[in-house]
Amino acid sequence: MRSLAELKSFTREAARILAREKDVASYEIYCATAEHRIARLAYTSDIPSRGLEEFKSLHADGFQLRITMRRDPHEVGAASEAGDFTSDSVRDAIRRARSAAVVDPHFSGFPAVPLGRKPAPSEKSDLARVGDGAIAAAAWDVLDGALEAFAKRAADPRIEHPGLIIGGDVSVIRDRIAIFNSNFAEVRINEGAHFHASVTSIIESLDAKGTATALGDSAAAMRRDAHVIGRDAVRRALALSHGVRPAPGKFRVVLGPQPIAEILNYMVMGSLTTGAFHAASSAYHAKFGAPVMDSRLSLVDNPMFSAGAFRRRVTCEGIPTRRVELIRDGKLVGLLSNFYDTHRMLTDEHRAEKLGPSAPAKLIFPPLSGYRLGEGGGRRFDASPGSAGTNVVMRARGGVSDRELIRAVGDGIYVGRIWYTYPINGQRAGDFTCTVTGDSHLIRDGEIAEPLAPNCLRINANIAQVFEHPLAVGSTPRPATVWGSPEAYYVPAIAADSIALAEVAPT
Amino acid sequence: MALLIGRGDLFEAIEYLRREGEGILARFARSKRGIAYADLRFEVVFNRSGAAVNGEPRDGSESENAAYFVSVYVADRAGPVGHGQTGAEIGALAGRPAKLVAELRRGLNEAYDRARFSARKKAELIAHLGDAAKGLLVAPIPSRKKVRDDVDATFSRDPRSLPTDELKKISLDASHEIAALGDAIAYQVVAAMTEMRREIFIDTAGTVVSQAYAFSQGDCYVVAQIGDGHQESYDSIGQQRGLECLSDGWRGELMPNPSLAKFCVGLATEARELAAAPVLKAPDGEVVVVTDPHFNALVSHEVIGHPCEADRALKMEAAYAGRSWFLHSLADNQLGKQVASTLLSACSDPSLDGYGHYRYDHEGTRGRRVMHIERGIFSGFLNSRETAAVLTAEPNGSARASEGWHVPLIRMSNTFFLPGETPPEKIIADVERGYYVCGHQIPSISESRENFRISARRVYEIDHGRIGRLFRSGSVIADSKSFFSNVDAVGNDLRLIAIPNCGKGQPMQVKRMSNGGPTLRSRARLAGN
Repeated sequence: MRSLAELKSFTREAARILAREKDVASYEIYCATAEHRIARLAYTSDIPSRGLEEFKSLHADGFQLRITMRRDPHEVGAASEAGDFTSDSVRDAIRRARSAAVVDPHFSGFPAVPLGRKPAPSEKSDLARVGDGAIAAAAWDVLDGALEAFAKRAADPRIEHPGLIIGGDVSVIRDRIAIFNSNFAEVRINEGAHFHASVTSIIESLDAKGTATALGDSAAAMRRDAHVIGRDAVRRALALSHGVRPAPGKFRVVLGPQPIAEILNYMVMGSLTTGAFHAASSAYHAKFGAPVMDSRLSLVDNPMFSAGAFRRRVTCEGIPTRRVELIRDGKLVGLLSNFYDTHRMLTDEHRAEKLGPSAPAKLIFPPLSGYRLGEGGGRRFDASPGSAGTNVVMRARGGVSDRELIRAVGDGIYVGRIWYTYPINGQRAGDFTCTVTGDSHLIRDGEIAEPLAPNCLRINANIAQVFEHPLAVGSTPRPATVWGSPEAYYVPAIAADSIALAEVAPT
Repeated sequence: MALLIGRGDLFEAIEYLRREGEGILARFARSKRGIAYADLRFEVVFNRSGAAVNGEPRDGSESENAAYFVSVYVADRAGPVGHGQTGAEIGALAGRPAKLVAELRRGLNEAYDRARFSARKKAELIAHLGDAAKGLLVAPIPSRKKVRDDVDATFSRDPRSLPTDELKKISLDASHEIAALGDAIAYQVVAAMTEMRREIFIDTAGTVVSQAYAFSQGDCYVVAQIGDGHQESYDSIGQQRGLECLSDGWRGELMPNPSLAKFCVGLATEARELAAAPVLKAPDGEVVVVTDPHFNALVSHEVIGHPCEADRALKMEAAYAGRSWFLHSLADNQLGKQVASTLLSACSDPSLDGYGHYRYDHEGTRGRRVMHIERGIFSGFLNSRETAAVLTAEPNGSARASEGWHVPLIRMSNTFFLPGETPPEKIIADVERGYYVCGHQIPSISESRENFRISARRVYEIDHGRIGRLFRSGSVIADSKSFFSNVDAVGNDLRLIAIPNCGKGQPMQVKRMSNGGPTLRSRARLAGN
């Protein structure tokens, strides 16, 4: 990875070259260097396997520039270059950007927000420096813990082929950026590093599945969690053995933190952007300012959340980050936005209809969430600015303990993990479907009862059933990850009523 | 002759590696202890695109990038074999041989260190846990004959020689035509892309294969709104050809497409019609469903293609994309067993002229047709060299990465249901009461692909053999085996559909392929909203 000093120096040099171009009215130069190191677990007791599968890394660094032309302030072109941080590559990119330019009547220029108090460029996470050895050692620790926990189970001599599967990964993602545009007084920089680890343990002979995840921003946390999560995933699977298959019907359910994170990720976050409102595709179309969730629930995106995996002080458009309030006491009060989409929403001639009658007359939608992200959520040099969250935190006023949540359900199901959650009828409809894959139990008389067999039920529901009229909400936000998501989630469990569950036949 | 913009032609780096790559790899292998095998893959991509929103220009871009991926196997003295990999984007550095070689050496060394570390850790774990860690002894990958081949791309118009303005214009023209449909179209995006890819694969066993591909793709997203009714629709067309397939349309037998403008107007017109249509009220219990080739493309993708990937079947994807209902264990699986009606057959065939066409995979193995279901009997998986060894099967050339810096995963190519002999009109005419399900939208599949819910763009009633009312927001829910076993008619109208965005792996890789089939008739539950 290139250092911040290298990125900063190159950005300055590129800006000098751009400033000399006579036909260029304004410009932006964005440099990013990113690395994703992955130690992936793939252990199967009865099929030959590598144990640590695909230990690999992806390195990407480069820059993107955007220029506007003097002949028309709305004529904007972009070009990116990988790997080559030289003056020649800047000149080449300028040529490409000219060729790619379009007259976009809605392009309003580049941000001019002052930096204010100079943010610290680096969070000094020691993850920024850990090498392969530490990541691989953590991954082998996960596997070691999982296999040891399995070896210590109450032995069942009848099981010659237990069908133990340990999957998941330990990943470290780190990135550095430098950004400058012709409205800025200085090059702005930022650096981040975080890890996530997830383990899935399946014991096929017991028809059981348990999972565990960890998220964090230090090497010490990665080492500590690695010792625990493999063991926990196996213990959970062992505790969930020989689960039952309930008949289909409508149930009262507790959705644990992972299901809530998954529903937010696939069903809600995409709707909480200015882009979705402009496109008339938000599930909250015409409901800005109106209640969209239970009045106990609030949702924020906080790039500097103290317990969060991410620490972002500057967006990929160079704007200092702030906490963005999305839902306050159940009402939709804010949206994730980037610079272009903010302007587009505020100048949208159908804005009143799209936002709805409850929207305040004066709105600004500050562009605090403009990120250029790649697969896995790291910052990428050639991505266009989009709107994304960072640490998404849901809090509940008057939330109750897990035990009280389960009591509130009485008879029903605790859903600990869901899978393949999609907006089956499009984002705006709010309908979703998914299957219950593991970590789940029946609830009887307000107590956790028999485990559920993995993959035996399909949920068919709408987000309104989960968030508008919950039976009860949990008090404590817990970390949860969603495969492929750029955000980290910190969410409570929620109890919901009348959730339709269809049967999935055993194979 | 291509008109290239830039300092140098990165594609020349392929020629350089064709000359020097084997030597670079051989010198590396000689310099390190314990290397059992190593390979390197290098790819250059040139891409141009344009996009328009609501009848106005939005984007234009052109980019060129180069990337490599290396894979090294190291045998520990105690026995276990470790595997290490590295991938990186290097862009214009690839145009300078000294920098390119330095990058490749850096990657190979890093992959070697990782492989050695893993081999040692495996040996320690096996010594510590004994039988509990026995799964770590991977089957050796069989050796093979070396292969040398060069495969050219197919196109009339080289993606590198076009002005980017043409991409902007083709998307803007299509967007204008949608805008002319009126206010019911609340939002629309049209994007067009044309791309040239060239890659070379070299291994320590003497294989050197270079392949080139031209891709062109058009995408359309539209939101229609009439009163309280709304419809979001998204679809793509694509071919392994030049831009001619978007500007003029393509008349290929298996995967024809109209011009981009005609395709977009068709999608928007349909969305407008659907916004005014009632939501499907789900009927009770199972009903007769006739599914069209576009809908069956997603069924063949999700419920045939994915569970036929051997890495998934062998539990290597269990934490992400799930397992496969075709293989519970090496001893207990569906191979040779009835999983569908005898009318139903399905295969993957990379040799066909579809979006998933290729000659060699990213392990240097020639791709070939793999029958998954033959007259209802499950018959085989897509595999890589390693998974083929575990399954004691021949490698069938299905390990492919989506980009030059990614690890190869087992992927579909052109995966589809084979056609029957019945005209689709007759399949519908023979239904007394049922539903005609057209166009796929969004899938949700259970963990081992044993159950699915897939939404359709359009659902029509069938009443006494005639197509009746149109509904929106309908989806098909079924257990996979039950759905396939109930197939009682297979059409003669096979079509492949370009699928541009299949996600798999960690980190996620998004891959292009084709899926499809003919019209099918079966039984399933339907859901509305």
